Amino acid sequence: MSEALVIWGRLTESFWLNTQLFLLTLAFALPLGLVVAFGSMSRFAPLRGVVRTFVWVIRGTPLMLQIIVIYLGPGLMGWGTPWPSGSFGRLWAAVVAFVINYACYFSEIYRGGIEAVPKGQTEAGQVLGMTRPQIFFRVTLLQVIKRILPPMGNEVITLVKDTALANVISNKEIIMMAKEYSAKGLIWPLFSTAIFFLVFVGVLTLVFGALEKKLDYFK
Amino acid sequence: MKRIVSTVLAAALVLSLAACSNGDAGTSAADDSSEAVTAETSSDAAGDTDAEESDLAYIQEKGTLIIGYTVYAPMNYTDDEGNFTGFDTELATAVCEKLGVTPEFQEINWETKVIELDAGTIDCIWNGMTLTEDIMENTACTEAYAKNAQVIVMNKDAEYTGTADLVSASIAYEAGSAGQETIEAEENLSQADLVPMATQADCLPEVKAGSCQAAVLDLTLANAMIGEGTSYTDLEIKDELNVEEYGVAFRKGSDVADAVNEAFAALREDGTMQALADKYNLELAD
Repeated sequence: MSEALVIWGRLTESFWLNTQLFLLTLAFALPLGLVVAFGSMSRFAPLRGVVRTFVWVIRGTPLMLQIIVIYLGPGLMGWGTPWPSGSFGRLWAAVVAFVINYACYFSEIYRGGIEAVPKGQTEAGQVLGMTRPQIFFRVTLLQVIKRILPPMGNEVITLVKDTALANVISNKEIIMMAKEYSAKGLIWPLFSTAIFFLVFVGVLTLVFGALEKKLDYFK
Repeated sequence: MKRIVSTVLAAALVLSLAACSNGDAGTSAADDSSEAVTAETSSDAAGDTDAEESDLAYIQEKGTLIIGYTVYAPMNYTDDEGNFTGFDTELATAVCEKLGVTPEFQEINWETKVIELDAGTIDCIWNGMTLTEDIMENTACTEAYAKNAQVIVMNKDAEYTGTADLVSASIAYEAGSAGQETIEAEENLSQADLVPMATQADCLPEVKAGSCQAAVLDLTLANAMIGEGTSYTDLEIKDELNVEEYGVAFRKGSDVADAVNEAFAALREDGTMQALADKYNLELAD
């Protein structure tokens, strides 16, 4: 019984790494995604081309592969590894890979949300003498946030489970921790990890539900 | 006006991407820039005599040996009191003392071990590693320090008199493992229905469930995984095949392997290695 308690404790401890990766990815990818979205909507064709190609490459290759390339790529190219040794460097390499990847997915959601706002509103703003940033922040943005909440919720929930991919560069997150036990002949810890993900996603579902309700007052 | 806005946004995009990748790397840029150069020369030094600095000098200069391992009793594992221990853990610590460096144990994925070694994110693979032809070709290996056998694990009730009993059985093994080589080289086992699995641990549920009659695994791993305190009390080792040897792998062309061989010789002489082998129930190499 006490061994089971130790295992639950270690699983919980390792799930903190999934949580850190989740929070850090959101903190950097949400704003970066908006920047990428503007790039992909730019009327300056070369910029638009570069950004859209970048988004295509990132969305078109497996995240697992991107994590490996970002962590091990520089060392293999003979430039020396840029990451600090130990678990700290491995976590940050995963964060960078996740931020780039998720910023690209978020950018497409932002773009969809921004382009869905009727053009007449922008024109009305211009007639009133508002600058483009003023139009964006005072007229468009809140409507965009309301529109993109459901697809964002989807993407954020996917992120929770994607954090397990970080174990490809030996970030000892919950799945890798559980596999330590299945390698020793104990099977139940691996299946028990589902509970952690389910609870986390359950909380997120409630949060997104509440947010949608809060933004219900205008259409 | 629109041009200016899009140009500014373009600059913001480029800067944010650059900041993203530089910000994290920047914390270690100062001490890693020198390592980068030496790591490159040492990893490319295979057979070259004009290497400016040896791998041993690189490791002694930074003062740490990053040891790649996977959790694998009795080699590297955490005991009931929460101490990180094991045969390889203690042996590596003793060897590092002789080399004048601090061991830094880094858990890795076994599949990417050689890539990590080449990328310089670890300095050696030291984890009950079987000296296969492939690994000896791609890395600089030490001499064998311990040995193991491939064993046939079956249900306790199953009848077994020799490998001929398994000609028409289903046999589970880890794809690409030393166990697979053993099976393929054995006259009777090679005729059986062979079931490749992702890891050795995956083979045991197959035998327990009866979908395979036997599994071919490492002796040390099988001893740790079946019997009392595991989910496999009903399985047992029926036979031992192919004896194999364990070594440590360094970057190809590295001179650290020779230095570790010397340390091994000294630790054998003073009885340290035999004491460790007795403690962890292993056999030293001949």
